[in-house]
Amino acid sequence: MSNNKSETKPLEKIIELRLPSRLGYERVAMDTASSLARRMGFQGDRVDALKTAVSEAVTNAIEHGNQHDAAMKVVVLLTVRDDELIVSVADQGRQLLDQNNVTRTPHIEDILDKSDKGGWGIWLIRELVDEVEFTTAPTGGNQVRMVIHLER
Amino acid sequence: MKTTYYSASMELSIPSELGYEVIARDAVAAFALRMGFTHERVEDLKTALSEACINAIEHGNMLAPNLRVNVACMCDNDRLLVEIHDQGLKHHTPAQMPLSMADKLAGLGSMRGMGLLLIGQLMDEAGFDPNSQDGNRFHLTLYRQHTVEHVPSQRTE
Repeated sequence: MSNNKSETKPLEKIIELRLPSRLGYERVAMDTASSLARRMGFQGDRVDALKTAVSEAVTNAIEHGNQHDAAMKVVVLLTVRDDELIVSVADQGRQLLDQNNVTRTPHIEDILDKSDKGGWGIWLIRELVDEVEFTTAPTGGNQVRMVIHLER
Repeated sequence: MKTTYYSASMELSIPSELGYEVIARDAVAAFALRMGFTHERVEDLKTALSEACINAIEHGNMLAPNLRVNVACMCDNDRLLVEIHDQGLKHHTPAQMPLSMADKLAGLGSMRGMGLLLIGQLMDEAGFDPNSQDGNRFHLTLYRQHTVEHVPSQRTE
């Protein structure tokens, strides 16, 4: 007999959403995440924060990871646990995220100098959710895993 | 560059558990609104989709908690098609002599089983794919130019 303890896996339910890489579809992900978070009992301000974080993550996946190629999919996994909601956003990785960019705080002067005013997304996601992790998915794309905790 | 023709698709998979149909409903509503359907039609779609998902969870998957319900949405210039696909522990068999909603309300049969009648009233087309081999596949269609039921104008002659 193995000495493995019988792990009590937390009861979890998964919703999977597959979206084409076209700007605008981030709204479908936002509305789905918001619908789920509200039903789990998250307060309005936390739902709003999550919506913004999901929107940023999906927009990054469409624009950068999948380079606007509509045939490439963005996969959003929403994992419901008793005490938290995990949202993972994965792209197909036509362009991989520079890991040097995932922790630094952008300087407003640098960003204002750039023509597209982008570059706030990752910083914003960090500010908005309780846990965040930027990794490379087993399939080779970029993956962002965001967690919000349900306080009772 | 804008093209006049486009097609778009989205896929969603939910646990086969009552309550998750509302998540599917809200996801599909967000998709349909983005595809340019009016709020009024999207409200009809939400009701029909909820009914269809509940059917898939309760009947098709027989409330088995480890099964899934898949929802696929496809949209082009003419229509929005939504397919609800369960894992088919129980296959849908159409009733031989289906009662009308009025008959049911008059007490001639079970008050249950009105979902399909309701869906039929709300959607431009709806029905099971009779050839599905892997579970029940139920589709809902909304046409962009949907035909409003014509009320004959009164003649004043």
